[in-house]
Amino acid sequence: MTAHTGPPRRRSAAPYLYIAPFFVLFAAFGLFPLIYTAWVSLRDWRLVGGDRGFVGLDNYAEVLTDDRFWNALGNTFGLFLVATVPQLLIALWLANLLNRKLRLQTAFRMGVLLPNITSVAAVGIVFGFIFADRYGLVNWLLDLVGADVVDWRGSRGTAWFAISVMVDWRWIGYNALIYLAAMQAIPRDMYESAALDGASRARQFWRLTVPMIQPTILFTIIISTIGGMQLFTEPLLFNYGRIEGGPLGEYQTIAMYIYQRTFRGNTEYGYGAAMSWLLFAIIIAFALLNFSLVRRSVRGSST
Amino acid sequence: MGAIRSRLRGFAAAALSLGLVLGAAACSAEEPKSADGKTTITIQWFGSPGFDQAIKDFQSANPDIVVKSENRGQLRDFQPLLVQWLATGSTQLGDVIMMEEGTLLEFLQDPSKWTNLLDLGAGSLKDDYLPYKWENGFTADKSKLVGLGTDIGGLAMCYRSDLFAKAKLPTDREAVSKLWPTWEAYAEQGRTFKAANTGAAWIDSATSIMQPYIMQNSDTWFYDRDNNFILDSNPKVREAYNFGLKLASDGLTSKLVRWTPDWDAAFKNAAFATVPCAAWGTGVISERAGEAGKGKWDIATIPGGSGNWGGSYLAIPEQSTKKEAAYKLLTYLTGKDGHLAEFKEKGGMPSTIAALDDPTFANATNEYFSNAPVGKIFGASVKTLKPIYLGPKHQQLWENVLERAMQAAEKGDLSADAAFAKAVTDGRKLATG
Amino acid sequence: MSTVVTPRRRRVPGGRLWEASPLTYVGLVIACVLSAFPIVWSFIIASRDNSSVYDIPPPLLPGGQFVANVERLLANDQANFLIGLANSLIVSTIVTISVVFFSTLAGFAFAKLKFRGANILLLIIILTMMVPTQLGIIPLYMLMIKLGWLGSLQAVIVPFLVKGFGVFLMRQYTASAISDELIEAARVDGCSTWRIYWQVVLPLVRPAAGVLALLTFMETWNEFLWPYLVLTNKTPTVQYSLSVLAAGNYSTDYVQIFTGTALAVVPLLLVFVVFGRQIIAGIMEGAVKG
Repeated sequence: MTAHTGPPRRRSAAPYLYIAPFFVLFAAFGLFPLIYTAWVSLRDWRLVGGDRGFVGLDNYAEVLTDDRFWNALGNTFGLFLVATVPQLLIALWLANLLNRKLRLQTAFRMGVLLPNITSVAAVGIVFGFIFADRYGLVNWLLDLVGADVVDWRGSRGTAWFAISVMVDWRWIGYNALIYLAAMQAIPRDMYESAALDGASRARQFWRLTVPMIQPTILFTIIISTIGGMQLFTEPLLFNYGRIEGGPLGEYQTIAMYIYQRTFRGNTEYGYGAAMSWLLFAIIIAFALLNFSLVRRSVRGSST
Repeated sequence: MGAIRSRLRGFAAAALSLGLVLGAAACSAEEPKSADGKTTITIQWFGSPGFDQAIKDFQSANPDIVVKSENRGQLRDFQPLLVQWLATGSTQLGDVIMMEEGTLLEFLQDPSKWTNLLDLGAGSLKDDYLPYKWENGFTADKSKLVGLGTDIGGLAMCYRSDLFAKAKLPTDREAVSKLWPTWEAYAEQGRTFKAANTGAAWIDSATSIMQPYIMQNSDTWFYDRDNNFILDSNPKVREAYNFGLKLASDGLTSKLVRWTPDWDAAFKNAAFATVPCAAWGTGVISERAGEAGKGKWDIATIPGGSGNWGGSYLAIPEQSTKKEAAYKLLTYLTGKDGHLAEFKEKGGMPSTIAALDDPTFANATNEYFSNAPVGKIFGASVKTLKPIYLGPKHQQLWENVLERAMQAAEKGDLSADAAFAKAVTDGRKLATG
Repeated sequence: MSTVVTPRRRRVPGGRLWEASPLTYVGLVIACVLSAFPIVWSFIIASRDNSSVYDIPPPLLPGGQFVANVERLLANDQANFLIGLANSLIVSTIVTISVVFFSTLAGFAFAKLKFRGANILLLIIILTMMVPTQLGIIPLYMLMIKLGWLGSLQAVIVPFLVKGFGVFLMRQYTASAISDELIEAARVDGCSTWRIYWQVVLPLVRPAAGVLALLTFMETWNEFLWPYLVLTNKTPTVQYSLSVLAAGNYSTDYVQIFTGTALAVVPLLLVFVVFGRQIIAGIMEGAVKG
């Protein structure tokens, strides 16, 4: 039954058998769809009306002149910036607070991580009410302190702000824990020598802590990029489930626009696929940019 | 080799158990089974048409038919599913399908997917229905009747009599109706109301006047009868658009977006004095304005006198294998008795003349709206209704394109001209794409 | 972008130099309050009647309507919330078991078995982690149509049975947590490769496998876009049910919506309360080698 009575072990079969399920399933549901997207993007193919044949790069040409695509792309990048910069800064600050001798350490860590374990859909719905245009909680607070009530869905800036709050609420704690872990790996004597040199705490934080955890910061930026480029649920539910993202598409992200063109309206698979590939190219470009930044920072710190 | 075989066996066991679990999970959607020679048919609807009692009545009269009802959520959820099922010939598609009038024509783009009800004998029912409702169930060439009407959205103007009193306007519904025989007169009264500084707006949104205004003045909207996209050249639509935005620029609108929590809350806060309301909309208002608004709302006739907003049809997919039974159910639900049951259950306004004239509907009053004779008011608004050709994608062109553009113009994000131009560009893309 | 769980080992003492000042506690308490507020608020609203959603100031105490609200929610035949909860449980459990099983298996193969092409195959897995699943969504959807899976649970299970991240994670952990000598010793004892995996490796990689299980379960539970696309309200997951509630804005029964959001979060809260330490440890240890 077991190997010791059998012939010499054939080492070659087992490993392949063990990794096969992953590759088979991945090929079917991961790789194939990705490659097939490229094929579909070259065709005029719809759910209603079917495959109307090869059209070459027509879909791509149309995407490039589609101002709603550019609008959505701009929104996606804009939202990414508006959401990510404060998110990571606040996470850094929070990590710095957590990186001390604390009572109730685990409780605080769980407290800041709590938003991350809630469902995006639930968050989107609840924040939709918190940021209701006239009678929401935030507007009540603004009114309380004598400020003007804000029409959150009324303009690009306010809508972006509200959506960013949703995203950040969910991700600040997670990033803070990642930073905390990186901070704890910094050798103590580095701080001691910095303190001897008379560096203040703030100075130690910006001159020592932040540079030391730079690779981790870049890691979180990459993670946020991939998440940010796919932003869908928050703006959708912020707009009460409407895919157009505001009267003029002020907060329609690229994922929402792809969804709208592919699965609503004229159900244009080909056009949606072309947009997907362009989005893919953009993400790759972004990742490469990040990668080169990492490389430079690594080289910079080693010389 | 024994080792490998045992490994394989381990895998097989794992795969098998996984497969079993999957199989169990897949069984959640069960097929209708025919027991004792009974025919099981499935009806799929969205929203709350109030079919429950009518279906029960139908069941007791037709014991050989088992009706399975599927509530498929809201129109927005159901519509894409229907598109998908029809395109793929899915077995999930039921035997009787409810469709909204704005989306019906999209499905008529490919009428081969639908049963011609004339073949099942519906031709004799012509005189039962309001002409508006009957005509809109046909394909463009009139050769095929796809749907029969359930409810119709007769229109009136709901108003807050307490705000009217504050502004020294008459509050009696007869007198109020006389205030606005035309839309111009309505706007004029709005300016008077605004001058009285009650703190409330005259109407909820500029977009609210579009449906009645266009229905009264035009027999086309986004499309001509050959399905050409004519938004840019349809004078009546532009006229209505300009009229609505003039109300906004005169400061008469509350600039709200329908079906949002803010719009809901505005009813409670008495943020506006009038709102065009379809027959199905009285419940919408009473639910939102709540107990505090009871007796403060009333109903007058709509400026221009007639109008329709929404309403649905029932149709049978061509792929259904139980057309006879399906047709029986369809004609029951769209007939007088069905209509009256639906009216009693959820307030859906009948589209058959016999049900409209039946005392159950004709003499109905609405307690919440100061006992307004809703049967009479809404009934009158549809008797003179002229058919309008809506065309494929009407619903999306309205909800996702023109209404959005108009809201942007109302808020001042874009000029009226620029917003309309954008609607034309986006609309053409959607209509011809 | 490599997140790696390293086995627990004593770290060189570092960080945490400073005593926490009262201000530190103030900052952390504010952060925790803001974190918890939306969740607590939705629970409070879920226990009150419909007028409280717009109550000014917002209610801070629960009311007595929770049971009534839950009953109304469960009676909603458009959202089918109970089916959604059950389906989410089924889907998340199957996906979690499968991901953990295949990941530990492949991770073991990559870490401890020598075979040709191992490096290039591992590189492929790492690359797949870079690709957002959303990009293949259109053909995947077409595939679901072809298979006739739209509207049924296979559509949200089968495509997610394996995860590149999981394989990579388990490979890293297995490589560092289990010495080659141990594997060799087991071989000398006559264990087959399968038994080595089952009886030696699997027990030893449990910490990382547990973290992978928790993360996978929560991720699957929270998945929104794909179920929203391929399911219907007859076989929803809980997130789909929520979307029905949220978009069903022709009704103003907001409390029902809040009851739904609260109930949808409860299972995750339970997992969090029980396994919070492990989840935090997983995230933090994963970051160190990031």
